[in-house]
Amino acid sequence: MKRSGFLLVVIILVAFLLRFWQLGVNPPSLTWDEVAWGYNAYSLGIDGKDEFGRFLPYNYLESFGDFKPPVYAYLDIIPVKIFGLNEFATRVPSAFFGVLSVIVSYFLVKRLFYNSSQKETLALFTSGILALSPWHIMLSRAAFEANVATFFIMTGVWLFLVAVEEKPWVLSLSAVSFVLSIYTFNSTRVVAPLLVIFLGLVFGKKLLRIKKYTVVAIVVGILLIAPIVGFLRSPQASLRFQEVNIFSDSSIVKTANTEIANDHNAWWSKIIHNRRVGYAESFLKHYFDNLSIQFLFIHGDGNVKFSIQDVGQMYLWELPFFIAGVIFLFKKREGYWWIVPIWLLLAIVPAATARETPHALRIESSLPTFQLLSAYGLSMALFFLCSLSKKRYMLKNLALGVIVLAIMGNFIYFLHSYVVHYPIQYSSEWQYGYKDAIAYAKTVQNDYDQIRITDELGRPYIYTLFYLKTPPQDFRKTQDVTRDVFGFVHVNGFDNYRFGSDEIDRNDPTKKLLVIEIPRKVPGNVKILKTFRLLNGDPILEAYTF
Amino acid sequence: MLNKYKTGLLLVILVLGAFLRLYQLGSVPPSPDWDEAALSYNGYSILHTGRDEYGAFLPVVLRSFDDYKPALYSYLTIPTTIIFGMNTFSTRLPSAVFGIVTLWIVYLLVKELFRREDLALLSAFLLAISPWHIQFSRIAFESNIGLSLNIVTAYFFIKALKKPWMLSFSAGFAALALYAYQSEKVFTPLLVLALVLIYCKELFRMPKKFLAAGIICGLLVASPMLIYLTTNKDAWLRAQATLAFADQTSFLQNQVKRIAFDREHKDYLGLVLDNRRVLFLVTGIGGYLSHYDFNWLFIKGDIDRHHAPGMGLMYLWELPFLLIGIYLLIFAKLPDSSKKSKYVLFAWFLLAPVPAAFTSEVPHAVRTLNFLPTFQIFSAWAILAVIGWVGNYRQKLNKVFSLGLILASVGYLFFALGNFVYYLDQYFVQLNYFDAEEWQYGYQQAVAYVQQVQGDYRKIVVSDSQPFDKSYIFFLFYLHYPPERYQQEEKSKAGGYATHQGFGKYEFRPIHWSQETDRSGTLYVMPYNNDNGGTLLKTIYNPDGTPAVLIVKG
Repeated sequence: MKRSGFLLVVIILVAFLLRFWQLGVNPPSLTWDEVAWGYNAYSLGIDGKDEFGRFLPYNYLESFGDFKPPVYAYLDIIPVKIFGLNEFATRVPSAFFGVLSVIVSYFLVKRLFYNSSQKETLALFTSGILALSPWHIMLSRAAFEANVATFFIMTGVWLFLVAVEEKPWVLSLSAVSFVLSIYTFNSTRVVAPLLVIFLGLVFGKKLLRIKKYTVVAIVVGILLIAPIVGFLRSPQASLRFQEVNIFSDSSIVKTANTEIANDHNAWWSKIIHNRRVGYAESFLKHYFDNLSIQFLFIHGDGNVKFSIQDVGQMYLWELPFFIAGVIFLFKKREGYWWIVPIWLLLAIVPAATARETPHALRIESSLPTFQLLSAYGLSMALFFLCSLSKKRYMLKNLALGVIVLAIMGNFIYFLHSYVVHYPIQYSSEWQYGYKDAIAYAKTVQNDYDQIRITDELGRPYIYTLFYLKTPPQDFRKTQDVTRDVFGFVHVNGFDNYRFGSDEIDRNDPTKKLLVIEIPRKVPGNVKILKTFRLLNGDPILEAYTF
Repeated sequence: MLNKYKTGLLLVILVLGAFLRLYQLGSVPPSPDWDEAALSYNGYSILHTGRDEYGAFLPVVLRSFDDYKPALYSYLTIPTTIIFGMNTFSTRLPSAVFGIVTLWIVYLLVKELFRREDLALLSAFLLAISPWHIQFSRIAFESNIGLSLNIVTAYFFIKALKKPWMLSFSAGFAALALYAYQSEKVFTPLLVLALVLIYCKELFRMPKKFLAAGIICGLLVASPMLIYLTTNKDAWLRAQATLAFADQTSFLQNQVKRIAFDREHKDYLGLVLDNRRVLFLVTGIGGYLSHYDFNWLFIKGDIDRHHAPGMGLMYLWELPFLLIGIYLLIFAKLPDSSKKSKYVLFAWFLLAPVPAAFTSEVPHAVRTLNFLPTFQIFSAWAILAVIGWVGNYRQKLNKVFSLGLILASVGYLFFALGNFVYYLDQYFVQLNYFDAEEWQYGYQQAVAYVQQVQGDYRKIVVSDSQPFDKSYIFFLFYLHYPPERYQQEEKSKAGGYATHQGFGKYEFRPIHWSQETDRSGTLYVMPYNNDNGGTLLKTIYNPDGTPAVLIVKG
């Protein structure tokens, strides 16, 4: 017991180090979503209003018109107060809840496998693998609200098990945790209800036995969720979904119609080529994408924000143990083993309705089931090796040596790639360049009547607000905002900053202009004042004047 | 009961399998692709002259498009060409026949391995309706012959454990597989090695003369190929060209930058980790594992020529059974007589993707056709087990649940049936419509037209630029151009992939209309997207109505 406590502390320390060390500099820059979280937290911390002036928004932050679930911004208020408005502070909530997830996974596994003789080992392995997981490290080191939502889901399941096993009053806390996940991330708005319904159904009898607490928990859950229901049913909430979902793909209907025509409109053809069949097939394709071995173990997500590309979402060494874990989970059927596969499979459902698959972020709420399965296989393997007779100690030591070497080697490979090559190779994917450019603009802004920043790199206004630390009141006073038919918000300017690429009247002598533009679009015969470069040396922005 | 009807059931399965493989064999897929045409014409050439298109006498390997095809398939088209003449049907017939015979061998093999009549019959049935197996039994792809030979090899090997003299058959067929397809050069030795390792005790107990006979027989059959491979370095070109890292510069682009960075920063750890061998290894592992992918197997397959439109390589309804089957077999307690059969099955299942692992274009349904029939055996095992469970479980339930269970089973049966009907429609009706271009459709009609009018022209120029690559082979094939004349006319040229072939009035080369100076009296045959002028005489359309081939008067 003592030893496992010590090991847990070691794991937590490792998890903390891997998530907080150089948090502000790697990933090398903030994406626009991260910047939006940071600035909204800054704004909320000053006058309790979001950037556009909504007082204590509890249902959404309008942000770029993507209607972000608001929890992350609130969690970020205190870090921004303490550390100031910077990269590190913006990312602290994600990293912090990442470490907490590592801890919770330990207790969760002990509850899941309450009757296993190896539950201690299994719990330590799971939280250890989660601590080292490329998937979880990548998502904990940037301001991804999904990472916080994952913590709430994990905690919700854990507390649910605590409640039905031992302390019924905890059930309400579980409900709170699940509801918080709904206020935190889009995908978990689907995953959380699915999981709750599933747990409610299979634990129905136990919940009836603790009737009183169950009723309280349900009431608490409903009360907490009530304020957001109206918004969830509004068109704004589904705006993003409309944009990315597979059911708006008209080519499926077109193909189906052609196929039916080829069958001369036979009745049976209308059944097998029903467009719902086509959509179901498309759904399955996207679902299976998230289970592809290439994605999980070789390259990871094609989006470099979620994967360094050299290592999968999981380590390659995990693969044999993962397979063994799945097989033996079904074979041994310990504790609430069946929660693991159901949880994993449910958590992928919402991501499979989107076109962009596989998607490490949208299926993050399946964590730590993937790590748990690897841990299960690993602990089975260790158990087997330890049960070998003394005569075969050579074999045992050899096998142990190989396993340890594989784990270490793979981890060092990941870490080296991530620390040394990743920021340099992929800085452009993290919208690198704004910080330097805006810092420069700030030093010279008094020399110019107007400063124009290109929107070629996307959403320049939020970076400007962030790096100038513009007080939100000032921004709201001078903002020039338009909203398009799709609900997207375009900030055209504030104060003496203008964004976008409207025609420049270079002959207007009344205005002295500073322009920050991507090199490709810088016109000839202008005075280039400064070039801003990516970490690999390629120019990304240039400041010029006439 | 099963024993009483087994012959009848097997016959039904074979008839069903034969129907699915022979029905409209010459017209679905709509036309032979270039490899099929090449195998057929080289067979025709060997039949009439004893030499392939390049004049090589009784070749073991065909140079063809510089891809050095193992020649066995071409020899197999000789009898079918004698009977039916050179056409699409006769080209594909050997593959279809091998496909049908394979069903019977699989039945025998499974029976020999697991001593279960029901399992053997069901495995053969699943293979008979397998989209993957049907796909490659209906086209002249050498891979299908290789698969059959591997299965026969395994069958005789298992048989030989009781009747050692059969070992020579096993060795002979294994050696023959090397002449069938490239993958077999990797897979067959591995399969034999696995069998030898699994049954080493039994082999050890065998009278030595049978072992010796087996080895000698194998070497004897393999020797022409072994001699060819050791004396002819061109034979390895194809293997090299398909490797994932064939194009070193683009493959290693990123790695080169990283190594330079590590050197500059004296990062010795980095120099080890960023070594290109690490990348090769990971690429190989990734290539191997890419074949265990649900999407590839059940939803979308790989390139269009390798599966019916809208289908994967297996039926979706098989997915749960496949998983259950693998799980059950891992833990299955088998009687002593078939204990090791499990290892054979798993070794086969795990070795199948090895030949494709380091190649580009993974996953690849042709290079890993040897996965069959393991998937079917796993599924069959699970289906039989599930039927057993449902039967047992039903008795323990009350009436309502029992009815529910029956309804669920019937529902699933309907789903499976719907899936099968869907496949049949996708293959026999939709494939020609959607994939004609993939199958290089249009040459048959084009050649027929050109034949009618060729007397009026001095010269016939046929494009050979993409998508008309190596169009000469289609003209040889459809014109039944006399091989002895072609060999004579081509002799003066270097041959090979890079050259532009020509024979008689025909020239095969890229057509750039503005640079065509000698247009009068010339007939041009070109793909629909070629730049052209002159008088358009005829357009040949794909079944979906898009143009495929243009015939233009200069």
